[in-house]
Amino acid sequence: MKECIAMLLAGGQGSRLYALTQKLAKPAVPFGGKYRIIDFPLSNCVNSGIDTVGILTQYQPLVLNEYIGNGQPWDLDRLYGGVHVLPPYQKASGSDWYKGTANAIYQNINFIERYDPEYVLILSGDHIYKMDYSRMLTYHKEQGADCTIAVLEVPWAEASRFGIMTANAEGVITKFEEKPKEPKSNLASMGIYIFTWKKLREYLERDEADKNSENDFGKNIIPTMLGDGQRMCAYPFEGYWKDVGTIDSLWEANMDLLNPNVPLDVWDENWKIYSRTAGQPPHHISSQAHVENSMITEGCEVEGEVDFSVLFSNVKVRPGAVVRDSIVMPGCVIEEGAQVHYAILAENVVVRKGAIVGARPEHMEDLDKWGVAVVGADVTVGAGAKVGPKAMISEDVKEVL
Amino acid sequence: MVNLNAMGIIFSNMHDSVIPELTGHRTMASVPFASRYRLIDFVLSGMTIAGVQNVGVIVKKNYQSLLDHLGSGREWDLARKRGGLTIFPPSADSGYSYHGRIGALKGILPYIEDAKEKYVILADCDVVCDLDYAALVERHVASGAEVTIAYSKEKMTPALAKNNVSLSLAPSGRVRELLINDPQTGKRNLSMGIIVIAREQLVEIVRTGYAKGLLKFEQDILAKNLETMKVYGYEYTGYRSRIADMSSYFEANMQLLYLENLNRLFPEDRPVYTKVRDEAPVRYALDSKVKNCTVADGCIIEGEIENCVLFRGVHIGKGAVVKNCVLMQNTKVASGVRMDYVITDKDVRISEGQYLGGTKNFQVFVKKGSTV
Repeated sequence: MKECIAMLLAGGQGSRLYALTQKLAKPAVPFGGKYRIIDFPLSNCVNSGIDTVGILTQYQPLVLNEYIGNGQPWDLDRLYGGVHVLPPYQKASGSDWYKGTANAIYQNINFIERYDPEYVLILSGDHIYKMDYSRMLTYHKEQGADCTIAVLEVPWAEASRFGIMTANAEGVITKFEEKPKEPKSNLASMGIYIFTWKKLREYLERDEADKNSENDFGKNIIPTMLGDGQRMCAYPFEGYWKDVGTIDSLWEANMDLLNPNVPLDVWDENWKIYSRTAGQPPHHISSQAHVENSMITEGCEVEGEVDFSVLFSNVKVRPGAVVRDSIVMPGCVIEEGAQVHYAILAENVVVRKGAIVGARPEHMEDLDKWGVAVVGADVTVGAGAKVGPKAMISEDVKEVL
Repeated sequence: MVNLNAMGIIFSNMHDSVIPELTGHRTMASVPFASRYRLIDFVLSGMTIAGVQNVGVIVKKNYQSLLDHLGSGREWDLARKRGGLTIFPPSADSGYSYHGRIGALKGILPYIEDAKEKYVILADCDVVCDLDYAALVERHVASGAEVTIAYSKEKMTPALAKNNVSLSLAPSGRVRELLINDPQTGKRNLSMGIIVIAREQLVEIVRTGYAKGLLKFEQDILAKNLETMKVYGYEYTGYRSRIADMSSYFEANMQLLYLENLNRLFPEDRPVYTKVRDEAPVRYALDSKVKNCTVADGCIIEGEIENCVLFRGVHIGKGAVVKNCVLMQNTKVASGVRMDYVITDKDVRISEGQYLGGTKNFQVFVKKGSTV
C-alpha cells in the first residue's frame, strides 16, 4: 500500500509549440540545457518522497517512452512502485483514446488500485517549477479536504488566462471559474491536484457515466465536486511556476534560468532536477570565443560568440558565428559567420555559413512583425539563407549564393 | 557491436606510487581526469564498447572512492546477470598475494577459471587512451601470439624512466627484449600495461608462477621466456597521455585544452562513460570571462578563467582571476582570488582575496578538503 501516488498527464499535443512538437509530445520538449519539461514534475515527485508515478501518454509517445525507460535516472526504478508509462490500451470491450484528462485517470483506475493509495496527486507535464508535494499533502490532510488545488497569485491583468479560484479565509474554495472575463480573484490553478482517492474514484465513475461530460478535470470534475459541496481547498504556492505551452513562454522560461533574480535554481544540491543524459565530454570554450551570461553543457564546442543563450549538449558554435538571446537544442551546429538571434533551434539543426536566423527587435521598424524564430528538428538552413523573425520552419531552407 | 570473446581484468592500484599526492586517499584507477572522468573510465568504456561483458577489477587499498564510483557498473552497461562487473577487494588470507600481477591474479583464480571467455585482457589505468580493444584481440588471434602487449612509441622522460616496461621488437612484431625501467633515452616502445593472453594459459602461468615465487608477470614470466613464448607487440598510435608523475598529470589535463586533442580522445562514435552526477549545466554570469577552457557541468563561473580544466561543481567567484589551473570537483574559489598554475583536489576552498601561484613546471597542489 502507498499513501500517495502521482498520475502525470503527459498526453498533451502541445500544438501551440508547432515545429517543436511535430515529432514529440510536449512534456518531452528539451528545456534548460539538459532537461526535458517532464524532468521537473518527475524530480519534484522523487524529491517529495513520492516513489510511484503513472505517466499517461497518448500523442507521439515514442521519444517520451524511450526517455522515461525504467525510470532509473529519477531513482524511480523500484521493486514496488516506480514509474510506469500508461498509454491507452485495448480492453475486452474495445479500446479508447483518452477522451480527456479525467477519462485518462478513469481508464487507469486498476493501475491506481494496485497501490491502494489514500491520496492521488494529479500533475501535468507542461509546467516548469520546483515544489515540495509532501507539504501540499500535509496541508490536504490538515484541512481534511477532499480535494486540494495548488494556486498561485498571478498579476490581475493575466488572471483571465487561467482557471481562477476564490477562497475564504480558511483556504476553502468557494468559487471556480475557467478563464473568466472579469476575474473575482487572482488565485490561479496550477493544474496540480491532490484528491482523497475514494472521493476521486466516485467522481470519476459518475463523470464517465455522464454522456455530456468532456471528462476533463478543470471543466467537469472540479466544478461538479464544488457544486456538491465537497471540501475543496486552495494550497497557496509561492515560487517560480511557468506554463511553457507557447513559443514565447518556452523562450522566456529558458531565459529565466539566466536571470539571477528569478527564483528558478537548478543548481540547488538539495533539490536536484534529474534527467537522462547521454554523457558527453566536458564542453570546450576556445581562445577566440566570447561567452557571457549563458548556460552551456557537456559536449559543446564554442569558438564563436554566445550571449544570453542556453546551449544544450553537443552544440557547436564555429568561429565568427554569433548566438544571442537564443535556445539551441542538442546537436545543433552554427557554422562560421552564421548568426542566430532571438530563436529556438530544435534538435540537430544546422545553420550553414553566413546564414541568419531571427532578428533583433532593435533592428525592426515594425515591432508587430518581430518575434522568436523557430527552426524544427533536423532542419538545415543553407549557407547565406535568411530565416526571418517569428518564422516557423520545419523544412530545409535552400542556400543563397 | 559484437560480443568479444574476452574478459577484462583491471589492476586499480598499479602505479599508485607515481602520484602519491592524488593516491593518498584513492586508487590510481579513481584519479580524476579530464573534467568529469576517473582514469578507469577510459579502460572500462573501451572494453564495453569493444564488446567485453565480463570485467573484474582488482583493488588493494584506498578503494572507497573507486567503489563509490563504480557502483553496480550500470553506467558502463556492466550491471549484468551474466558476467558484468565484479570488484575484488583483498581477502583476509591474501597474505603476500597482492605482490605483483601474478600474486594479485592468484587471489582471484577461481573467478578466472570459471569464466567462459577464451581470452583475457589485463589492463592498468595509468595510460589514458582511445584503444580499440576489439582490434587488439583480433590482432592477437590473427598473429598466433601467446601474449600481445599494446605499446606506444614515447620519448623518454625522467619520470617515465623510473616506471616503464620497454619492448624491442623484431620486424614481425615479436618481442625480442623486454626491459623493466629501461633507462635509455630517446624514443622507446613503452608498454601501455594492456596485455592479451588466452585465459587457460594465464591460469596455468599464475598457478605455476605463484608456486615458484615468480610474482611479477612482465619481469619474472615474460622477460625470461621470450625465446620460447610468442610475445608480440601491438602498436597504438592514437591519442594518449601517460600519467607518470604530478607534472605529467597536469600536462595531460592541459593537453585537452586543444580542441583537436579533446576530439581525438573522445571521438563521437566511441563514448567514454562515467558516473552520472546529475549536475546542472554551467552558468556563465554576466561579467564572467572565459578563454580556452574545458568545463564540466555543475560549475558556476562569475569571474575570469583562462587555460583551465574545471571539474564538476566548481564555483569561481566574482572578480576572481584563475589561469592555468586544474580544479577538481567542488573547488570553491571566492571572489577576488588570483590563481596561476594550481591543482586543487576535491572539495577545496580558496578564501577571498588569496593569491596562489606556481609555475609552468612546478604547480602548487592543494590537498583534498583543505581551505586556503
